[in-house]
Amino acid sequence: MAEVVLTGIRKSFGAVDVIKGIDLTIKDGEFCVFVGPSGCGKSTLLRIIAGLEVATGGTLHIDGKEVSKAEPSERGIAMVFQSYALYPHLTVRQNIGFGLSLAKMPKDEIARIVEATAATLQLEKLLDRKPKELSGGQRQRVAIGRAIVRNPKVFLFDEPLSNLDASLRSQMRIEITELHAKLATTMIYVTHDQVEAMTMADKIVVLNGGTIEQVGSPMELYNAPATPFVAGFIGGPKMNLFEGKLAEEMRCRTYGIRPEHVLLGAEGRWQGRVKHVEHLGADAIVHLDVAGLGALIARISGDTGLRPGDDVRASPQPGKEFRY
Amino acid sequence: MRCPVQRSPYPYWFVLPAAVVFVTLFLVPTVASLWFSLTRWDLYTASYIGLDNFRQFFSEQNLTLGLMNTVIYAVLTSATKTVFGLLLAVLLTSGIWGQSFLRTVVFFPVLVSTIGVGITFTVLMHPTKGLFNVGLAAIGLHGPGWLTDASLALYSVALVDLWKGVGLATLIYIAGLAAISPDYYEAARIDGATRVQQFWRVTVPLVQPATVTVITLSLIGGLRSFDLIWAMTKGGPGFSSDVLASVIYKQYQAGFYGLSTAGNVILFVLIATIILPLTWWFNRKEVDL
Amino acid sequence: MTRRQYWTGIIATVVALVIFVVPFVFIAFTAVKDKAQASHLDFTWPLQFLFWQNLVDVVTTRNYMLLLAYFNSSIITVGAVAMLILFGAMVGYVLQRRQSRWNQVIFGCVLAGLIIPPAVVPTIWVMQGLGLFKTIWGMVLIQVAYGLAFSVLLYRSFIATIPRDLDEAARIDGAKPLQIFLRVILPLLKPVTVTLIVVQSIAIFNDFTNPLYYLPGKENVTVQLTLFNFQSQFSTQFNLLFMNILLVTIPPLIVFIFFNRQIVAGMTAGAVKG
Ligand SMILES: Nc1ncnc2c1ncn2[C@@H]1O[C@H](COP(=O)(O)OP(=O)(O)OP(=O)(O)O)[C@@H](O)[C@H]1O
Ligand SMILES: [Mg+2]
Repeated sequence: MAEVVLTGIRKSFGAVDVIKGIDLTIKDGEFCVFVGPSGCGKSTLLRIIAGLEVATGGTLHIDGKEVSKAEPSERGIAMVFQSYALYPHLTVRQNIGFGLSLAKMPKDEIARIVEATAATLQLEKLLDRKPKELSGGQRQRVAIGRAIVRNPKVFLFDEPLSNLDASLRSQMRIEITELHAKLATTMIYVTHDQVEAMTMADKIVVLNGGTIEQVGSPMELYNAPATPFVAGFIGGPKMNLFEGKLAEEMRCRTYGIRPEHVLLGAEGRWQGRVKHVEHLGADAIVHLDVAGLGALIARISGDTGLRPGDDVRASPQPGKEFRY
Repeated sequence: MRCPVQRSPYPYWFVLPAAVVFVTLFLVPTVASLWFSLTRWDLYTASYIGLDNFRQFFSEQNLTLGLMNTVIYAVLTSATKTVFGLLLAVLLTSGIWGQSFLRTVVFFPVLVSTIGVGITFTVLMHPTKGLFNVGLAAIGLHGPGWLTDASLALYSVALVDLWKGVGLATLIYIAGLAAISPDYYEAARIDGATRVQQFWRVTVPLVQPATVTVITLSLIGGLRSFDLIWAMTKGGPGFSSDVLASVIYKQYQAGFYGLSTAGNVILFVLIATIILPLTWWFNRKEVDL
Repeated sequence: MTRRQYWTGIIATVVALVIFVVPFVFIAFTAVKDKAQASHLDFTWPLQFLFWQNLVDVVTTRNYMLLLAYFNSSIITVGAVAMLILFGAMVGYVLQRRQSRWNQVIFGCVLAGLIIPPAVVPTIWVMQGLGLFKTIWGMVLIQVAYGLAFSVLLYRSFIATIPRDLDEAARIDGAKPLQIFLRVILPLLKPVTVTLIVVQSIAIFNDFTNPLYYLPGKENVTVQLTLFNFQSQFSTQFNLLFMNILLVTIPPLIVFIFFNRQIVAGMTAGAVKG
């Protein structure tokens, strides 16, 4: 259990600055998610915390100790890779016990710990298989098991679910959340999927172009996004953002309204025509073409009778508008 | 820039054992050869004599003959291996009866001891009793003295080299042919290309990477070749089938260490002047494709 | 299979039998003939099959020199191949995983090793200085020096297919560099390692030139040198000479039967880079 503190962390590869000064405190026991678009530096930041990359500048403390330049194995961290990175030539048992055997732990003790870990992850029956004989979800569990036996102060995950199919992903999402509840260890989790971020995080860190856009709880980011970037990134479908004439009318540079806060009816501020309706069951996503405004997306109840070509009026729900 | 405390997980000392062996037993002698080729040398004392060794090399007829023979031998074996290797590879990928057996049979000589092959063919090429001439006599021809005729010996050895080495060229070409997508042949067939046209218009251009490999490898091998020639003719009759490598050995045996080393330097320069421009030219052509 | 493929195959097989198989049959026939029949050098059915007797005669010649030769050749081959595997993999690993200016230097050395003919007499001079000349260990190290370039190239291209994540996972698990290499990387290199063992063993076992220069002396004979020396010794006993050739041909034949696939992989992989 440990607090992770990043102070002025910078990283450049040659002349390219990838991380441009990050200050961040992740509290003990917190589940912290890094989100951001591809290439924004999430993995790099995580790898700096892991010690797989050495920061060009700044300091890193884990559990009060400065570890900016320590070996990865001395930082008290464990990492689950996107590719799982299981050792292909070792069995599940040996994969999980690899770190312990390197630490010269007695064989029977390793066996005991590995069996116990396997039991919590329902891997008992698979212990003597090789990784290539496992399904994606099982490999994922082995990778998590390998992390657990290290008994780390901080767990690091780099997009661990991106190779799984949708249903397995939501199941593993729950398993990891439960694991966090059980171990109460600090976890740092990288994803570019905002649904994962919203559902799992205590704290979300939105990264963009190597800097932090905003830090906050999921609902803080949803209710009060600090920048248009965060506003557009958190929540789905994406928030409607307008610049230009409408923004001027609203006396701001960027005006935003979430699809779920667009009201459709016979009355309303904007005159629009339905272009397309996506029925999701409970909800429907309506794509409108609004005169003088362009495309507008609304999320309304699924029992709507609207059809492409219908004329409809739309207006923002009062108090839910964002002005930047 | 601050120096990281972390050590690389790929430390350079991993290279050390290999580097020690390679540097002491390969690089140091190679660099030293540049000096010793300019000396009269008995392994203990070396006296500088300038370019005398090289002058001697290019003035003595049997030594220049060795240089000529090296080039002839290398070009000849390389060219024939390339041509026959490609033809055999095309034949052995065309789905004929007994294909895998044939591949095995063609390749096996590559793995056999060169000395063993050399001795065997020396016997088979015996002017009167050898199977070559007995066979020719059976169809009414008078066979030549394959290894005893000074004008023929080098070519006879080259023939055996082809026999032993064509399997490797074939193998490389088979791998190269496997990399060509069958789509090209189908497109060519739809365009009405005959088999011969397909060979020239599709196979030959697209198998070029393999050709580069075969030519480069066989040229280097041909320029350095020693053991087959030594096992079959020892450079004879006279000096007629001497090549640089056998000259180097003979001068070494005779105790002319400086001269022998000069031969080494000449061989090195010869290989460099043939292989480097060739690689450069091949690379440029590959970019064009 | 079309008629055309069928008949081309038949013809090709007959031609291949004459060109490629007859010399080997000739070796086998002559090796079991008696002295008188062998001296005719002709391609005829042996009148007598003296396989065992000729074998014993060859082996016992010159005080069991052939056995000593096999012993020496085996030591040289095993020692050199073991070092080529370990050292080659280590260099290939660092070369592939690390990017720096040193890599250019290493790569230059590899290409030099493939192309430049060894400078013989200066090498003898260096070996004499180090006390390695005329020693089995000197010969082993020579074979390592000359074979490294090929091993490094082959390993480097194979290591490129092993994801770096594995190294990093091992690092996090607390593995030191050597442990990462020995416990994670090296086991994963097995396919190339098998290929290299086979290809390099054959090359070193068949090597004639290098022992000729660097390993003179009766007690140091290798298999190929013995064969070469027997050529003059047995000039009247062709049956024994060819029995010797047969014995030298059998090891690669056995290796070829068992490791055909690996040999093909190694020869083509190494060649395409060469
Ligand atoms: N070793 C490296 N050398 C040079 N540039 C690198 C290196 N590693 C990462 N980068 C660059 O740094 C930037 C950030 O990379 P990073 O992997 O952290 O992105 P990411 O946010 O994890 O993206 P993704 O969601 O696609 O995984 C990218 O532009 C990438 O090209
Ligand atoms: Mg990433």
